[in-house]
Amino acid sequence: MLVSWNWLTELVDLQINVNDFAEKLTMAGAEVENLSYTAQKLDGIIIAKVLEMAPHRERKNLQVVTLVWGDERAICVTGAQNVKEGDIVPYAPPGATIADGSVLGIEEFDGVKSFGMMLSADEIGLPLLSQEEGILILPQDAPLGGDAASWLGIKDVVLDVSVTPNRGDLLSMVGMAREAHALFTGSRLKELNFSSTTELSDWPVSFEGVTLEDSGCPLYCLGFAEELEIAPSPIKCRVRLALCGVRPISNVVDVTNYVMLLLGQPLHAFDLDKLPAPEITVRSSRNGEKIATLDGREHILSSDDLLITSGGLPIGLAGVMGGANSEIDENTRRILIESAHFLPARISTTARRLGINSEAAYRYARGVDKAKAPLALSCALDLMKKWKCGKVYTSVIREGDAAPVEKFVPLTAKKLKTYTGAGDLSEASSILIPLGFEVKSCSEEKAIYKVPGYRMDVEIEEDLIEEVARIKGYDELAARLPGRIHDSATIGLESRTERKIRETLMARGYIEILNYSFISPKFIADLSIPASDSRANPFALANPLSMDQSLLRTFLLPGMVNVICDNLRKGWRFPVRIFEIGNIFLREGANLIEEKHIAGAIFLGKDDRSPYGDAVRDDFFTMKGDILALADAFRLKFDVLPGSEPFGHAGQTADVISDGRKIGFMAKIKPSIERRLELPASLYVFEVTFEPFLMAKPPRFGEVHRFPSVYRDISLIVPEDVTVKEIGELIGDLSSDLVTSIRLFDIYKGKNIPEGHRSLSFTLEYRHPDKTLSDEEVDELHTRLRAQIESRGLKLR
Amino acid sequence: MVNPKTNDTEDVKNAFIKELKLAKRSEDLNELRIRYLGRKGIVTQMLKSLGTLPPEDRPAMGKAINDLKSTIEDMLKRRMEELALLEEREQERKDAIDVTQPPKGRPWGGFHPVVEVMHELMDIFVGLGFSVALGPEVEDDFHNFEALNIPPHHPARDMQDTFYLQGNELLLRTHTSPVQVRSMLKYGAPLRIVCPGKVYRRDSDPTHSPMFHQLEGLLIDEDVSISDLKGCMVHFIDKVFGRPLKSRFRASYFPFTEPSLEMDVECIACSGKDPACRICKGTGWLEICGMGMVHPKVLRAGGIDPEVYNGFAWGLGIDRVAMLKYSLSDLRILFFGDIAFLAGGVN
Repeated sequence: MLVSWNWLTELVDLQINVNDFAEKLTMAGAEVENLSYTAQKLDGIIIAKVLEMAPHRERKNLQVVTLVWGDERAICVTGAQNVKEGDIVPYAPPGATIADGSVLGIEEFDGVKSFGMMLSADEIGLPLLSQEEGILILPQDAPLGGDAASWLGIKDVVLDVSVTPNRGDLLSMVGMAREAHALFTGSRLKELNFSSTTELSDWPVSFEGVTLEDSGCPLYCLGFAEELEIAPSPIKCRVRLALCGVRPISNVVDVTNYVMLLLGQPLHAFDLDKLPAPEITVRSSRNGEKIATLDGREHILSSDDLLITSGGLPIGLAGVMGGANSEIDENTRRILIESAHFLPARISTTARRLGINSEAAYRYARGVDKAKAPLALSCALDLMKKWKCGKVYTSVIREGDAAPVEKFVPLTAKKLKTYTGAGDLSEASSILIPLGFEVKSCSEEKAIYKVPGYRMDVEIEEDLIEEVARIKGYDELAARLPGRIHDSATIGLESRTERKIRETLMARGYIEILNYSFISPKFIADLSIPASDSRANPFALANPLSMDQSLLRTFLLPGMVNVICDNLRKGWRFPVRIFEIGNIFLREGANLIEEKHIAGAIFLGKDDRSPYGDAVRDDFFTMKGDILALADAFRLKFDVLPGSEPFGHAGQTADVISDGRKIGFMAKIKPSIERRLELPASLYVFEVTFEPFLMAKPPRFGEVHRFPSVYRDISLIVPEDVTVKEIGELIGDLSSDLVTSIRLFDIYKGKNIPEGHRSLSFTLEYRHPDKTLSDEEVDELHTRLRAQIESRGLKLR
Repeated sequence: MVNPKTNDTEDVKNAFIKELKLAKRSEDLNELRIRYLGRKGIVTQMLKSLGTLPPEDRPAMGKAINDLKSTIEDMLKRRMEELALLEEREQERKDAIDVTQPPKGRPWGGFHPVVEVMHELMDIFVGLGFSVALGPEVEDDFHNFEALNIPPHHPARDMQDTFYLQGNELLLRTHTSPVQVRSMLKYGAPLRIVCPGKVYRRDSDPTHSPMFHQLEGLLIDEDVSISDLKGCMVHFIDKVFGRPLKSRFRASYFPFTEPSLEMDVECIACSGKDPACRICKGTGWLEICGMGMVHPKVLRAGGIDPEVYNGFAWGLGIDRVAMLKYSLSDLRILFFGDIAFLAGGVN
């Protein structure tokens, strides 16, 4: 909300400067986001009259103007089309400064000297002010020779105040003045008085009245004026509207806007002669009913929108915007002025659904005091009279219940003290009274306050505490640490686990990534996920920001791959490892399953040159080492077994198994997908669920070994499709209990090994818990093992 | 056979010294040792021939030969050590490397500033007695709005433009506050929790990201004061930025707190001294955190009796704190996975 400092200080006398006011207003809850000083550079602008105008001899599009004020005269040249002899204009003589800071001089236009110039609204610093192109024409009663800036009152400070949704009462000048009054002890509020109205029907028209058919409109007031002459409103009013960000339109429309800015009550004027019937009915709309609003848009309504109708036809979207069919125009002669009360929820629903952010809807949605409706109408009628808009009637129609809702809220010294450290109720009253609260009763322990109608936000004791605390200022309150610890605090298993995982992965060279939880449908297609896969069936956002962020991710992998692709596009070329821990969202029937995952990717690099060659290159098995290290960190046992994924290289994809259950995968990305994504080098990826890590086992240490181990090697020649795991397990099964570890140390293919086979060499550790094993004993055990392996048909080397 | 005469030992010694000088390798020394001190060595032979001398000459000659023997042993040992040193030196010279070559193996990875700050904040608040509670990112209207005193059509819903899911009533939580409600229902009062996590709003510009992170805090107890809330917040700011910073508390509005406050902290970039500061836009203050005393309606929705208990809550933007702490200017870059940017944080 834009607040004119000049206007505000007319309504409340404040003995402080605007900066102090802004600071205090901000601290009390209405944040002043900006102070703009209007027309500050304007200097030496004179109000002058156009005495005569003559065409320029050489240049057709220019006129030579003679200006006069008092005994003085000046000549200037203008290209403006809207000036005529007798007009009063703002004139900047040589030496004067216009709004943008330029100082005027004498300029020559083909032999004619122009002394300064006449000014447009833009040049005077208030572009909103002008309704037409060209020079700003001032009223005939403007004092010739006077200072234009001070006469217009355009040197002002405009405060841009961010009003919180609970404080609808601050969306008006009187509301702001009241807040200012409460904030500054000793300030005085100016009383506003409006002419009284009657409900005698003396309108010289056959108007049948107002019918309220919907509880969304508890009160509806109508005023009437005729013999209107639609014209610009008084210049000072226009200046004021423009300062507050409202474009002046015409006297009648400006009256409604001016009253809304002053009192916070939206008004609307209908052209009576355009109404389909001499009556107004407020009702809810029918599903599919249409209305064309003043902004030129057509809206299709649903059954909960509130309509102003006449003769059954919509003439306005209640509280939101008037209908185009009853709009005021230059030919309007008779009008009805509406000042009504609508329920906030109804207006906000309609405005939100139709996407209309009108000043009226903004205020109604935040709650307008019911008592304002008749008052605002009186104020509008007064102004129309004052501005001589036409014949204005003081009789009005008032339909519905005008009785104010009375609200009483208690405040106890005890609670006030608990919250703020001080429980002085008389001090509380001295703060609440300037805000408009009335003390109904007051003892030392408890006071009861009557809440003013415009404070719809105040309902409970805590609301009163807030009023007292914010006006006093929160900085007054001491800070202390809360005492009374009831239990030891913990970061919790999940966060502790997550922390250990990320620290393990970072230590193993992975960079932590956070991707958006939404992904593009393209990601799923790029990874060849078949429709039958639950990962290809994500939940979609109903209102995404873009197609690229329209789906909830079903796994983390797409984000990982996208990061690599993005970075390659940005010129990244080296090997890199990344990881992410985050939630994914799967569809299970109609339900949504939210699950935490851990994913990682190793990109081998477009440029993987290293002084150390292959020795430092990552591959499938370095990634496997990372996953198993992660398991080890939690004393978990993961198996990595041949598996398949739609995006995985058929020969280099594995399932990660924990407790006999697949918890994820690791894979080299399929060659065709690497080509699709234009990956210049191999990409290895893994993704596992988080949940198994919560099952970490407590560490258990065995006995210290007292007797030395003895080692023997064994080499087998096996077909290539037999896994290391299978052979390892076989050796384990066949060997003596004294074998305490079996470690693969060599894999060999080539010379002396048949085609399709490979040689696997293991070293076995023999150890006896209670004695030192002799070479002979071990040899015997080992020979027996070799024989047993051979008896299974396996070839030893 | 050498004659065991006194001057013979001198001759032998001189001959040994001459030969020792020529020995360049440890093998040469071994050979010398054998030739002089071995079983058939010169000195050994001399000792053996002592018996052929007259008895009166034997003691003097015996001493001379033994002296010679220990002299040779000493000299051999010294020379051996010298040579070992020389050989080691030579070996090391050959094995010398350029230690400024790059390391092998993987460098340390890199942390994401937001997650790092999130964990830092958790630690600070655990220190103040708040336990960590977590909740789902996909929420329903009750936990995200209704229970927090934001009924349908409430203008406060405009403050948080919400992402809804297609085909059901679910939404992406717009704040971490639903975890408050879940925790109250689960644990009851008294309660001290912080709830870190991702939140979502339909907004995207340099200071708004459709996904960002909050750390919600909630304390429920008897007779809780606004002073307690201020104390926790001031403590956290001092800890997270590592120095005491000026702060101010402004009145504000949130449907789920009453009274509601907003905390501003002295600009960490300019301390309010630079009217052209990009970080605080010349105001000298940075908005850090919204907070307030828990609204009685929220307590009731959480199954807690507001006649017995009250409390406070806050919702802190973790990303904002991370941006300030690590001097970052664009919030969205945090979620672009820029490797050079993220790896740069290591240095």
